[in-house]
Amino acid sequence: MTHDPTQAAPAAAIAGTSYSDFDAPLFVAWQLNSACNLSCLHCCEEVGDHLFSDELTPEEVTFFLKQIVDLRIPYVAISGGEPLLHPRFFEISSFLRAHGTSLKVETNGLLIDRQVANRIGALGFRSVQVSVDGSTPQTFRMMRPNGDWEKVVEACDHLVAAGVTTEIVFVPSKFNIHETGDVIEMAYRMGTYGFYTGKIMRIGRAARNWDLLCPTETEYEKFFDVLKEKQTKYDGKMKIYYYPYDVVEELRYRLDCPAASLLVIPNGKVKLIGPLPFVCADLRRHSLSEAWQRYKRAWREPEVVTFAKRVVEDPRLLGEANKWVELYPGC
Amino acid sequence: MQFEKHVRVRQEKFGAVVFETLSEKLFVTNETGARILRLLEERKSVDAVAADLSRVYRKEPVGIREEVQEFVQKLQTNGIMMKEPQE
Repeated sequence: MTHDPTQAAPAAAIAGTSYSDFDAPLFVAWQLNSACNLSCLHCCEEVGDHLFSDELTPEEVTFFLKQIVDLRIPYVAISGGEPLLHPRFFEISSFLRAHGTSLKVETNGLLIDRQVANRIGALGFRSVQVSVDGSTPQTFRMMRPNGDWEKVVEACDHLVAAGVTTEIVFVPSKFNIHETGDVIEMAYRMGTYGFYTGKIMRIGRAARNWDLLCPTETEYEKFFDVLKEKQTKYDGKMKIYYYPYDVVEELRYRLDCPAASLLVIPNGKVKLIGPLPFVCADLRRHSLSEAWQRYKRAWREPEVVTFAKRVVEDPRLLGEANKWVELYPGC
Repeated sequence: MQFEKHVRVRQEKFGAVVFETLSEKLFVTNETGARILRLLEERKSVDAVAADLSRVYRKEPVGIREEVQEFVQKLQTNGIMMKEPQE
């Protein structure tokens, strides 16, 4: 043990500390349910046509929540499906917040009226991320058939009015990439905390619709120019976050540096990472602590490394991401 | 002294990890830092933290106080702890 507190000063980043050094995950991305009131062209989870018939039972959800708290997992993101469709959404959120867990919710916003926004506001979420994939109803509906743009914008207004840290999530595609700047301007006018974007991920339904959706390199160049310009314009006023890498680059990086996080899908299976099909644990059979140990081991499995390298060579394999492969069947 | 709203601290075998969840930034620290963080979570003052470290590590409290103060300033600069109103 060192006696010099200056050596204890926080490092600038996690560099030098591997995910395997942590006693438990630092982050859990939890796909709470698979039900959704939309059927978006770019949905990573393919909700609507990939419904789970074996979602965690209320008792299993309660047990999972207790383990999150017991392991002192600091940060949880809840998504779906559409998480607000889950009958226990507020009960689950309240439990996590009551135990001090930082909570982010990813929603399409359609179920957020003034009353729901106020309930969310009272719980003090880290943030609510609302998907707004266009600055006009017409563009929005191209990505989200039957989506109600006006209602989503209204939801953002309600959230902001309720004091919720509201973040706009924008997935660029051929249909909407030209409206990036307009959506940022809209986000600022609405008083949101931030704007999040990055290249569209070739997973799930987006993989099937790839040729229809994926912007060209020229369109991406303009997109990033707009983001840089807006980032300068709104410096200190609104956060503009963008991830410059695509999912393949992310995967290449994760092969060397897996994240200290778990991805839990609605039936309690634990996936290694969204773009890969591998399942390393099942929360019906394994404790969260065991799942974490299995996750750490799984990243070193030759099957995982080989497949991930193949994906890097041939990104079309990302289309396999939702065809789950049990890494340790029966164990 | 208070931690910022979205900051979570967890003790680890190697020390502690600090997660500023709003900006999604992670910081790691060794065992001494972990001890300081634990005391700060208990709302101990810089003087009280320095006194504790002085007792545990058998060092003069004067030098330690400056080091703790510097540590706290780094926490504030990184958005982990709130700045005191007079600062």
